[in-house]
Amino acid sequence: MSTALDRKPDYSAFPRLSLEEARAAAADLLAMKGAGAPVEGQMLGRIERFYRQEARILDEERYEDWYDLLADDLFYWMPLRENRFRRDSRSELDPDSMAFFDESKADIAVRIGRLKSNLVWTEDPPTRHVYIVSNVEAFETGVDGEFETHHVFTQYRNRSEHDEATLFGRRRDLIRAVDDGFQIVRRLILLPQSVLLTKNLSVFF
Amino acid sequence: MKAADLVDSSFGTIGRRIFWDPAIYELELERVFARSWLFVAHESQIEEPGAFVTTYMAQDSVIVARADDGAINVFLNSCPHRGNRVCFADSGKGRAFTCNYHGWAFGLDGALKKMPKMGLYKSTPGFRMEDWGLRRARVASYKGLVFATFCEEAPSLEQWLGDFRWYLDAVLDVEDGGTEFLPGGATRSVMRCNWKFPADNFVGDIYHALWTHLGGAEPTLGRHGGVIVENEGSYQVSVNGHGWEFNDSFFGNAATMGDRELLRYMRSRQEAITARLGDFRSKMWGSVASATIFPNFSFLPGYFTFRTFQPKGPTTTEIHAWTLVPKNMPDDIKDRFRRGSMRTFSPSGILEMDDGENWEHSTSANAGWVTRNQKLCYAMAPAGEVERDDLPGEVTAGQLSDANQRLFYKRWAEMMDAESWADIPTAGSDARYSEAAE
Repeated sequence: MSTALDRKPDYSAFPRLSLEEARAAAADLLAMKGAGAPVEGQMLGRIERFYRQEARILDEERYEDWYDLLADDLFYWMPLRENRFRRDSRSELDPDSMAFFDESKADIAVRIGRLKSNLVWTEDPPTRHVYIVSNVEAFETGVDGEFETHHVFTQYRNRSEHDEATLFGRRRDLIRAVDDGFQIVRRLILLPQSVLLTKNLSVFF
Repeated sequence: MKAADLVDSSFGTIGRRIFWDPAIYELELERVFARSWLFVAHESQIEEPGAFVTTYMAQDSVIVARADDGAINVFLNSCPHRGNRVCFADSGKGRAFTCNYHGWAFGLDGALKKMPKMGLYKSTPGFRMEDWGLRRARVASYKGLVFATFCEEAPSLEQWLGDFRWYLDAVLDVEDGGTEFLPGGATRSVMRCNWKFPADNFVGDIYHALWTHLGGAEPTLGRHGGVIVENEGSYQVSVNGHGWEFNDSFFGNAATMGDRELLRYMRSRQEAITARLGDFRSKMWGSVASATIFPNFSFLPGYFTFRTFQPKGPTTTEIHAWTLVPKNMPDDIKDRFRRGSMRTFSPSGILEMDDGENWEHSTSANAGWVTRNQKLCYAMAPAGEVERDDLPGEVTAGQLSDANQRLFYKRWAEMMDAESWADIPTAGSDARYSEAAE
């Protein structure tokens, strides 16, 4: 359990990438195409277990425990999707463009601070979540203990009576081995929807 | 049905059927949306000849394209041959729009240019190419914002906006070089609510922020004392149904983004903006405020999110949002606004996430017949003298009030009940303000 979030924090002192660092992280994520040697066997099993655990932590709204799975140099990015003709030469995923998430660890802390305030009426009574993570692939990066992973997810939410949302997506991570597991260093989340077919993203991916 | 029977704009009651009834919605499409000037694009989205975006004017899909002569054309995105949608891209660049069905091709002005086996039509008696272009709208801009209407009777955009332009300059004309939308297209999301709930929220409901947004504001503001919302030094102003509620805090809204560098930058601009716009309007730039340009185009000073509430049926609304900044703003400050507006007012934003459920359930409760036949209270009108006589439009002292919302629905009812544009009153412009806006 993180102690950093237990009292009202000064978020300006929380870990934050500079604009240049965030741009470099975005470029790295865009370049991650599974080119390294595949990770197999026991290590792949540990990585898959990490994602199952992460999904359960999010389902249980244990946001501070999830926060501890994030590296201090986190870059967390969900770009917008646009419908463009195939002949269009512009890059669809551009770090200068508007996004749904474009975050350092400090920004995640603010979001958790909101949820912890007990003043968020739209999460009370709580939303129920089910996360499914699948198609996990992992690759060596050339840096010891850092792995590139690709996987897909289903994120189902239900609250109140008829209010529900199902989001499918693909994630691309850089994860780093730490003492008792892994930390997420970079995460690219790609939703296939160009119009978000639900009212909000009151959820972590 | 007379809309005026459902709207009492003097005391302030609204019949709830207007948020639910499919027949009322159908009439809105005809009498409100098809007769209004609707926001379609910012000029910066289509700077080069051939650049286009697609968007909606109510439920009509349209293409907004820059022609070779620099003119901006807006035309229906539906082929007049069999009706198929013509352009499926949200944005791009090209010379022609070609329908997938039979290959009819249209130019950057919407005119029909060619189709496969043109000879078949050349030998068809009475067929003329010029009769079968994509239907074009009237187009006009105000300081970068492009509006369009398919209504020939509607007054000019200048008359439609009237003296509201004088206030708009507080976000559109703070420095030389004009404004732009930050890149990457619109942030789009769907809410199961009637379009008027978000539009009336933005036209004059700061009151909700004091309760709805307590949780969202806590992490960034709690520590620093919060944003002050009082009726001292604050106003609601309304012209032709357009409305803006604001205080004189200069960057009160911006402060909730929790970025001190950004506030430092804004403070560094205050003197120049005051010299340009005068003391009163300069304080509106990023203050605690919200605004709607009737009927469904809204913005928030400070975050500079500009958004349309696109109607998709009586109980479904699509939000399309962009962030507007001065073109000459330093790149790193633009990026701070990009991230700041995303983290507050987007579907993942810590403030916007609080709003949607309110509007959805304000809408869905009307499924109940008894509920639907109740009235809603838009009566808040705390007494307060406007101490200035130099402000255009209908001015109310104090931003905590339902005044703008009553005037929004008054305008709505006028348009709903009017047989023609001649029956819709339009406020005259005062030369003092229209000259200042040029």
